[in-house]
Amino acid sequence: MPRSQRPSTESMANVLRVLPARWAITIIAVLIAYVLLQPRLNTWFGWQLPSIPAMLGQETPKTKNTPASKQADAKKQADAKTSQTQSSTTEKPKSSSGSFKFGILKSLGRDRYESPAGLVYGPGSEEGHRLQHIERHLQDDPTRPGSHGVFQGTMEQFLIAIDDTYRRARGHAKGTRTRNEEAETIYEAPFDESIGYLGGSSGSGQKNPPLKRMRVVVRGKNLITAFPIP
Amino acid sequence: MALPYLIYVRACPICKEGLCRVRVCTASHHLVGCVICDECESVWTDPDMETRSIEKDDTYTASCPECGLSLWDEACHWADIQEVCLLGWYDKVKVART
Repeated sequence: MPRSQRPSTESMANVLRVLPARWAITIIAVLIAYVLLQPRLNTWFGWQLPSIPAMLGQETPKTKNTPASKQADAKKQADAKTSQTQSSTTEKPKSSSGSFKFGILKSLGRDRYESPAGLVYGPGSEEGHRLQHIERHLQDDPTRPGSHGVFQGTMEQFLIAIDDTYRRARGHAKGTRTRNEEAETIYEAPFDESIGYLGGSSGSGQKNPPLKRMRVVVRGKNLITAFPIP
Repeated sequence: MALPYLIYVRACPICKEGLCRVRVCTASHHLVGCVICDECESVWTDPDMETRSIEKDDTYTASCPECGLSLWDEACHWADIQEVCLLGWYDKVKVART
């Protein structure tokens, strides 16, 4: 125990010696009750009651949860979330053992990932990886000649919508289409609500109309690209 | 380096979203041109887009019709206007400012 904490403990013992026995027992009972109830009261009511060791200087007291510190905590969380989102969307996809990429993709090794519907996202494209390639459809490119389907949502929601399109079109669900080219299979499926809007120079010329269909291009089970369409 | 303009032949007949653009491969020390969709990566041997070039391996990576190198290799790049002229394809392409 550090030397600096001895006097306070000793002085408390001295006080107890001087007090009548009834008072000493009462104080000890109150202290025991406080020790037992302090963490629970903090949890139930959000209080910041210090523990006995903290009061005796044996433990570093917790930072008070003032509005300023709450704001700082919230900012830290937001920053952490932002950096997590940025790293998950702009960096090259990393294999995370035991976890799922974007919440739904299972790692197959060698930088390849499989969706619940069985689509495989692997290296390729100008961007270096199919995930980075389809990520281009999360934002508009108004200067691009022609149309550019933009999905409005997160990467995880985009991947879920792609899986949904693939599943429904393979199951020949109502409103879906399947087209076979020399090497590719192109699946299309409608959605009940708008999933994005038409971007690119063509889209901006038409005031970016909403899009309610998705097109998915695959080779075998390998996803090549996917985007919302009119 | 990104070009201040975008050279393309037409919208892709396969995915109907991408632009079919001219890409050149310099791996064999002479200029080899091809047309590739920047969305679905379908490849054609020339801007008439009558003959498709489909890779035979299972890497699903667009490759040079002549040497088979990945079209995303360092030896390949989007053609500039000079290269399009050298290939004799200038009258087959459109040029858009980016």
